[in-house]
Amino acid sequence: MVKKLKQYLLSGVSYAIPFVACGGILIAFAIAFAPMTDKGPDFSGSPFLKLILDIGVTAFSLLVPVLAGYISFGIADRPGLVPGFVGGYIANQVGAGFLGGIVAGLIAGFIVYWIKKIKLPVYLKPIMPILIIPVISSLVVGFIMFNVIGQPIKELMNVMSAWLKSMGAGNQILLAFILGSMIAFDMGGPVNKVAFFFGAAMIKEGNFSIMGACAAAICIPPLGLGLATLLGRKLWGQQEKEAGLAALAMGMIGITEGAIPFAAADPLRVIPTIMIGSSVGSTIAMLGGVGDHAPHGGPIVLPVIDNRIVYILAILAGTLTVAFLINGLKKWPIRKKNETKQAHEIS
Amino acid sequence: MKIVAVTACPTGIAHTYMAAERLEKTAKKMGLDIKVETQGAMGIENELDQEDIAHADVVIFAADIALQKRERFDGLKIVEVSVREAIKNPEGILQKIAG
Repeated sequence: MVKKLKQYLLSGVSYAIPFVACGGILIAFAIAFAPMTDKGPDFSGSPFLKLILDIGVTAFSLLVPVLAGYISFGIADRPGLVPGFVGGYIANQVGAGFLGGIVAGLIAGFIVYWIKKIKLPVYLKPIMPILIIPVISSLVVGFIMFNVIGQPIKELMNVMSAWLKSMGAGNQILLAFILGSMIAFDMGGPVNKVAFFFGAAMIKEGNFSIMGACAAAICIPPLGLGLATLLGRKLWGQQEKEAGLAALAMGMIGITEGAIPFAAADPLRVIPTIMIGSSVGSTIAMLGGVGDHAPHGGPIVLPVIDNRIVYILAILAGTLTVAFLINGLKKWPIRKKNETKQAHEIS
Repeated sequence: MKIVAVTACPTGIAHTYMAAERLEKTAKKMGLDIKVETQGAMGIENELDQEDIAHADVVIFAADIALQKRERFDGLKIVEVSVREAIKNPEGILQKIAG
């Protein structure tokens, strides 16, 4: 059952990877060549770069609907496309991020899967895939995504923001650790956004160390996973290795979403790993007094960083942590299989 | 002679199944062994598995759209016709294959 779930997720991810790669590379290119200011990358001087950015952002915004749509496709074949894409699109709208997209895709797929099993008279069969299934499944998925998930997400974000503000006066190291985990948890999703906005808001209040911690955390998931695919050549498939290269480019420009394909395909191993890695980086950054004057992350913001050497060390530490941890975790089932094989051979 | 076939039309609610039925009925009348997979709006139904394809001599693609999982048939003799042809003249198609 778990294996089937993994298959469904992978099915969606394999269609979504090119969208992440395409969008990420275009955005990375645009940001790389735009001057970095206190307000982030500045495109006012280059409409050409802005165009590239817009195209990249468009590809990116299709990521979650595609992911959800094809997860649903994997479960229920073509009739699953409508509720999957619709659910994924709504997930974007309510700010649920790629985790919301996975939920939408799974719900959509299973709803259609079960509707298909209902025995209907022959004369209803032609309108099933065109009318009945899309309408019913979209209504259900849409309702769930807007009301059951959307509302709670908004409230969750408010609660988290308030909590972070209250912590702001307390232990900065603990705060950095928590921010690191939040940034890595859902990459572009609500938790990540709350942490990021908190960091950005602190810049306005003159506190640059919060954003400094965030900036290190932001780039560690994609850099770490990209590095992992470079180091463990045999552990990763061809598609994953290509996604890894795109992730490296995105990590350099501070786009966390490069890690999404990996997290969506193997959430139980990847998400805790990148949370640990990002927390390592963010904590080191805070300990070392790193400050970031721009609401953005990754090595690209070095020009506006205080304490650059510590910043680089923080990123390196987190990146290496992620790379070795995830490759170690991937090797584990293989080692266990070999141990079991050896045990059988001996007996 | 063992024949397998895949039918697929754009809307996928009528002609796909009509073509499948025509091919099946006509093959039966001609004493030919056929198994037909449909790729309609509901998705893939009566899917051809490894065994079906391994024992087949030829596959008929009666399709107006790109087929899903086409790689299964690599190496097998392929006859491509339109969905319309399969509905209007299944005898002709099957004669050419069998004869």
